[in-house]
Amino acid sequence: MTRTKKAYAPGRAGIGRHLALGGLALLTLFPVILVLSTTLKTSQDVRVNPFGLFSSFSLENLRTAWTVGGFDGYLLNSILLSVPSTVLVVVLSTMAGYAFARLPFPGRTPAFYLVVLGLLVPFFTYMVPLYFQLRSMRLLDSLVGVNLVLASTQLAFGAWFMRAFFTDLPTEIEQAARIDGASEWQIFSRIMLPLVTSGMGALTVFTFLQNWNNFLVPLLYMPGGGYRPLTTGLYLFVGGRSVDIGPLAAGTLITILPVILLFVVLQRQVTQGLISGAVKG
Amino acid sequence: MSRPDVREPAAPTPSDPGPAAPGRRRTTARAGISAATRREQARLGALLVAPAVVVMAVFLVFPMLNAIYYVFVDFDGLDPNPPWVGLANFAEMFGDPDVWAAFGNNLVWIVGGTVAPLVLGLGLALLLWGVRRGSAVYRVAFFLPYVLPPVAVGVVWGWIYAPTRGWLNGVLEAVGLDGLTRGWLGDPSTALYAVLATAVWTAVGFVFVIILSALRNVDVDQVDAALLDGANWWQRLRYVVLPQIMPVFLMVAAITLIGGFAVFDLIFVMTGGGPAGASDVLGTLAYSNAFQLSRISYGTTLALAITVLAVPFAIWLDRLQSRLARERIGA
Repeated sequence: MTRTKKAYAPGRAGIGRHLALGGLALLTLFPVILVLSTTLKTSQDVRVNPFGLFSSFSLENLRTAWTVGGFDGYLLNSILLSVPSTVLVVVLSTMAGYAFARLPFPGRTPAFYLVVLGLLVPFFTYMVPLYFQLRSMRLLDSLVGVNLVLASTQLAFGAWFMRAFFTDLPTEIEQAARIDGASEWQIFSRIMLPLVTSGMGALTVFTFLQNWNNFLVPLLYMPGGGYRPLTTGLYLFVGGRSVDIGPLAAGTLITILPVILLFVVLQRQVTQGLISGAVKG
Repeated sequence: MSRPDVREPAAPTPSDPGPAAPGRRRTTARAGISAATRREQARLGALLVAPAVVVMAVFLVFPMLNAIYYVFVDFDGLDPNPPWVGLANFAEMFGDPDVWAAFGNNLVWIVGGTVAPLVLGLGLALLLWGVRRGSAVYRVAFFLPYVLPPVAVGVVWGWIYAPTRGWLNGVLEAVGLDGLTRGWLGDPSTALYAVLATAVWTAVGFVFVIILSALRNVDVDQVDAALLDGANWWQRLRYVVLPQIMPVFLMVAAITLIGGFAVFDLIFVMTGGGPAGASDVLGTLAYSNAFQLSRISYGTTLALAITVLAVPFAIWLDRLQSRLARERIGA
C-alpha cells in the first residue's frame, strides 16, 4: 500500500523508480553522449568502432574543427550576434513591459496588439519579404541588421514576459513613492526596476539561448558569409563535407557546449522563463 | 496569450478581476491621481514602449504587410514592379497536389507532435513527482533536449538515422531485425516520422517541465484520501490528479498544437522536405519555392496560408486562457 502511494505523494522514491528515471535520463541524453564520445575518438577509432565509446582519447577532432573548420571564428560571431541582440531585447522589453503593466498611455491597445501579433506569427511567414527589405536597407551581411532581426523576433515574448512581472508588484510602494515626491521616471528606474531583476535574469538567459540557437536568421541574412555564427557554420559544414564524422562531431560539440553549460548552471532561470511565458501571462 | 488589456485607464472598475491570475492588483487606474501625474504617466508610457514598437514595426509588421502584397503579384525577386495577378497564387495553391501533400504532413505533425510529447511529458512528470534525491539531475536531463540548437539536434539525429554506420540500424542488426534497417531519412515512407520522432524528443522536455511545476500545486491530501477510499492508480490519476492540473495541461496542449503549425527548422535541417517532397510541410515548401525556385510570391502565399490556418487555434487558446483565469479567480 505504501508502495502505490509513493507513485503520487511526495516522499522518498524507491530504488525501482530511480532505476527507471536513470534509464530514461540516459536514453534522453544518449545523442549528447554520442557527440561527446565521437568527438574524443581518433578517426581510426571512428572507422573501426563506430558504435562503441571512445577506446583511445584524442583531441585531434576538436583541433581540426577549430582550425580547418573555422569554428573559432564562428564562436566569436555567435557571441557578436547573441550578446547585443539579447541586451536589446531585455532593455526594450523591460521598458515596454513596465508601460504595459502600470502606465496608462495613448495607443496602449494598438501597441499591445502588436505584441500579440509578434507572439502569433511564425518567422518563416515574413522571412522572404524581410530579405528584400534588408537588402534595400543595406543591412544584409551586417552585424547590426542581423542583431536587430534577432531582437525583433524575441521582443514580443519579452514584453509579454516582463509585463507579467511588473503587474505582480504591489501598488502601495508606487503610491508611497509618489507621495514622497518621486517622478514617474524615478518610480520606474529606482523603485520598480530593482524589484524585477529576477525576471530580467530569467528573460536574459532564455533570450540568449534563443538567439544563440537561431540559425535561419543568420543563414538567410548573411548570404555573403560575413559573421556566420556556430549554428549556421555547422549547417554549412554538414552540407559541404564527406563522411568524416569526427570533426563534424567536434563542431557540433563546440556549438552545443556553451548551451549545455549555461543551461546546467542557470536551469532555474530558463525554466522560470518558460513557465512564466507559457502559463503566467 | 490572454486578451490584450483594453481597460480604460480613466474609468476605474476595482471589482474587475482583470484577465490574469488572482491576487494581481489593478495598477493603472486609481482614485486620487492628479491630472499632472496622469500626463506624466502617459508621456513616460509612450516613451518606454516606443523603441520596442519601432523595432517590431520595421522588422515584423512591415515585412508582414509586404508579404500580403507579394501574394497578389508575381514577384521573382528582380522585377521592381511585379505584375498584379490577383488571386492566381491562391488558385494555384488550391490546385497544387504538392501543397495538399504538405498540408497532410502538417496534420500528421500537429497530431503526432502534440499527442506524443503530452503523453510522454506527463508520464515523466508523474514519475519524477515527489522524488527528492537527484530530482534536479533528472530535471536537467529531461529538459536539456529542448534548449539545444535545432541544427545540432538535426546533425546528431542524422547520424543516428544514417543508412550505413547509423546507430539505429546498428541496434536493429544487433537484435536480429536486419530486415527493418534502412536509410531512415532517405526513405520516403519513413522520412517524415523519423524527423517527427526527433521533434518529439525535443518537445517532451517542455511539456515535462511545465506539468511538473503544475504537479507541485496539487493537493496531496486529496490523493491520500482517494487512496484510503480504495481508488487504484488509474482512478487517482483520472479523478484526483488530472482535474487539478487540467488548466495547465490544456495550456501546454494548445501551445504545442500551435507550434505544430509553425514547424520548419528541424525538417529544413534534417531532410529539407525530401526525399522528393515526402517530408515537406507548408513551411519547407514555402522556403523552397521562394529561395530555390525564385517563386517568391507563391512561396509567400504558402507561408501566409499556415499563419491563417493557425489563427482559429490561437483564438481558441486565448478564449481557453481567459476562461481558465476566470475559473481560478472564482475558486
